[in-house]
Amino acid sequence: MKTSHLGSGAQAGDLPVPLNIDRSWLDNLESRLDKGGPWGDFRLFQLAVQGEEARLVTSFDELQCVKHLQDLSPLPHQIDTARRVLFEMSGRAILADEVGLGKTIEAGLILKEYMVRGLVSKVLILVPASLVLQWVRELNSKFGIPAVAQKKAYSWHSDVVVASMDTAKREPHKDMLMEQEYDMLIIDEAHKLKNKKTTNYQFIQKLRKKYCLLLTATPVQNDMSELFNLITLLKPGQLGRQGDFAANFVVGKRQAKNEDQLRDELAKVMIRNRRGEGPVQFTKRTVRNVSLQLSPEEQALYDGVTSFVKNQYKASGGNLSSMLSLVTLQREVCSSRDAVFLTLVNLSKKIPDDSPLTAEVWELVNAIRNIKANTKAEKTIELIKDMNEKVIVFTEYRATQEYLLQYFQKHGLSCVPYRGGMNRGKKDWMMDLFRGRAQVMIATEAGGEGINLQFCHHMINFDLPWNPMRVEQRIGRVHRLGQQNDVKIYNLSTTGTIEEHILNLLHEKINMFETVIGGLDVILERFEKQESFEKSLYKLFLESESDEEIRSKVSSLGQSLDLIKREIEYEDAETVIEEEA
Amino acid sequence: MSLSPQEVQKQVLTYLETTECSIIEKSPYHVTVKLSPQADKQLTNRPYYWGFIERTGAEPETLSYTFVFDPDQYNEQTAKTPPPSAPPQPQDSILSRYFGVNPAGPRIGPGRIPREDVTYGSSRLQQIWAVARQEGSCVYLFEQPGPLQRETLFSAPYEPWLGVCFKVEMTCDVKKEALHFIGISLVTGQIDPQFARRLETLQLGPRLPENIHIQPGSLSLAGAANLLEKHMKDHLAGEDYAWAEAARERLREELAVIDMYYEDLLKETEEEKLTAIREQYDNRRSEMTWQYEPKVNLSAITCGLFHLRSIRL
Repeated sequence: MKTSHLGSGAQAGDLPVPLNIDRSWLDNLESRLDKGGPWGDFRLFQLAVQGEEARLVTSFDELQCVKHLQDLSPLPHQIDTARRVLFEMSGRAILADEVGLGKTIEAGLILKEYMVRGLVSKVLILVPASLVLQWVRELNSKFGIPAVAQKKAYSWHSDVVVASMDTAKREPHKDMLMEQEYDMLIIDEAHKLKNKKTTNYQFIQKLRKKYCLLLTATPVQNDMSELFNLITLLKPGQLGRQGDFAANFVVGKRQAKNEDQLRDELAKVMIRNRRGEGPVQFTKRTVRNVSLQLSPEEQALYDGVTSFVKNQYKASGGNLSSMLSLVTLQREVCSSRDAVFLTLVNLSKKIPDDSPLTAEVWELVNAIRNIKANTKAEKTIELIKDMNEKVIVFTEYRATQEYLLQYFQKHGLSCVPYRGGMNRGKKDWMMDLFRGRAQVMIATEAGGEGINLQFCHHMINFDLPWNPMRVEQRIGRVHRLGQQNDVKIYNLSTTGTIEEHILNLLHEKINMFETVIGGLDVILERFEKQESFEKSLYKLFLESESDEEIRSKVSSLGQSLDLIKREIEYEDAETVIEEEA
Repeated sequence: MSLSPQEVQKQVLTYLETTECSIIEKSPYHVTVKLSPQADKQLTNRPYYWGFIERTGAEPETLSYTFVFDPDQYNEQTAKTPPPSAPPQPQDSILSRYFGVNPAGPRIGPGRIPREDVTYGSSRLQQIWAVARQEGSCVYLFEQPGPLQRETLFSAPYEPWLGVCFKVEMTCDVKKEALHFIGISLVTGQIDPQFARRLETLQLGPRLPENIHIQPGSLSLAGAANLLEKHMKDHLAGEDYAWAEAARERLREELAVIDMYYEDLLKETEEEKLTAIREQYDNRRSEMTWQYEPKVNLSAITCGLFHLRSIRL
């Protein structure tokens, strides 16, 4: 292609910007004149011009993409987000909507807009391996963007490639990507890029990119400096130098100061739509807590494990960090004997044979042997048969999942598993099976990320995670945009166990199942200024002597959460008043 | 700008007629068409099939499509007139006892006509535009005179014009475009900025009409092209460049933020670390320039030589 580049100053009265003139048309015309053709049809000539006219971008700041979409009507907050990213943030932004508000749709809109405008053609999209095919499918079907999943080395040459971060950062892929220039880079689940020292972070920092979107539902998980790192990836210096940032905005690890100023600065690079806001309507959630009585054998195991864990905690002198596997044990005993058994076996392998602990562990194993039935599983079957519709059962433990699969199948329920360790193809297959044939899906927490199950509106929490955000994520799989029905949530809990207290805390105190709490993350963030929520719970249980003590401690924990919630509501109300004034 | 289903249909039909496809069925909402070999090669992406046909000389079997321009209306229309149901199958023939019953599913294989929704924004329409641009980029045409010209005594003087449809792209981190279809007479050097409008009123064809003569041009093609470009440049110089200044301002701000961020980091004393930081700094700066730096692109969508009846006598 012959181009003549006229720099400024070539002629007086020239343009104030560089002008590129593409003259290939003249070569083309001359060579056809020499050869006497071939000449085009005038109707096609006109059609080509009409086509150009029809997709001409006649304005710098008007969203084009929506009219290009056939099978998608984006929601107002999604269109608004796209507009802001394009015209206020110049295409570099963190999309941090809460779970279920359609971050993928927003990213798709932005990408489509840039492609329609001819500003982007080469695109790299990095997502967790489990989401690769879903992204490809959505971009193709909803946006008509010809995205391909990276499978072989040559896939990198396609214009729009979706790949997993883990693949991309490895050799030989890494070198190939470093040589490229990407008009746009999109990263899903970007909160994994919070640590500057990781290879992921450094890899992304080195990639050459023009526009960049980072998608995450949880921009701040633990630490203010994580947020700083995320933004530095996008626009270094937006929050000042590292030192300035620490001095201006950070008090404690999780505590910000000058919050208004920080919020203003953040608003320049980050968009966070919340569930409680705007015209987005969600269906209702109804919750039923199913209280169960453990069988005497199960109760014996529970008591045995509890006293074993407590004794160990005392023996360790209150050192929580060495207790993690034991705390797990305490949680597993509320789920299934299978889960406990596995952990016990692993534990016994670690302790020396002559230790007195071995005997204690084996005693517990014997207690497991005595258990003939799983009270919770029996109840679950009963529930599922009553509702007679599709239902997703969540458990935290792989062993429980295996057990339930067998147990349900034995009772004639068609069910499929879903877990984080499955490869992409299998996950997709499981989703399709669940949609088409199976009545029940049994998912472990790892499988929670990124699966969309709008077609199902029953959900059973076989056991509960101790982290409220994870509970919210579970619910978010089902209770999201596109859900037509009210969502029914069943929580199983056994009386007289810590589970009862946890459920009490989450349900009664935070009321997290029924109301969609937009600001759950904010509440937790504030609470966790002192200590992580889960850790507080561990301590509380390990250090309490009686059920009564636990009850009162849980209730005071609940109160402090409630206090924070009101504080935030009050502040919000105040800002509204200020804005109105 | 967006196109209505009717406009899309008109453009698609233009393409199908130009490429001599045979139209099987047509309504205001759809068209069912058997593609011509030319259109099949351009649209269906079957290079191996056509390679096979050309090497073996076999009779080509082109594909058929039902292009639907207004899906809602079309669905309503087809719902009212259900397709004739398949004849009831004998459920208990001898054969089916051996081979099982073949359920009357949707027809697949040869003879099946796939349906495709073609609306503004669909990839099929984009593809047709791209093909049109590829095939129609260069033309050589004559104004077709009325029937009287053949019988008159005097041959009519024709003037060659170079016509170019320019596309202007003003780009920074956002973008704006404009089309300018202008022409220049190779005889007089006169420029017509409304060349497209002039062509609209004329009958144009590829064949040299009888009883006309073409005036010799005084301008070379390259000279005419230069004049057209100069015309475009003058026009562009008169445009408003506030957008470019705003983009430069954004760029300056972004660069200042980066400079400030790296100021301390660049005081690193360790040689190895400093090199890494400097590289990062330079990369970040060049990315910013890439993103914001304003520029104008001038290219041509289509061009051609048009021999038009001279207006001056």
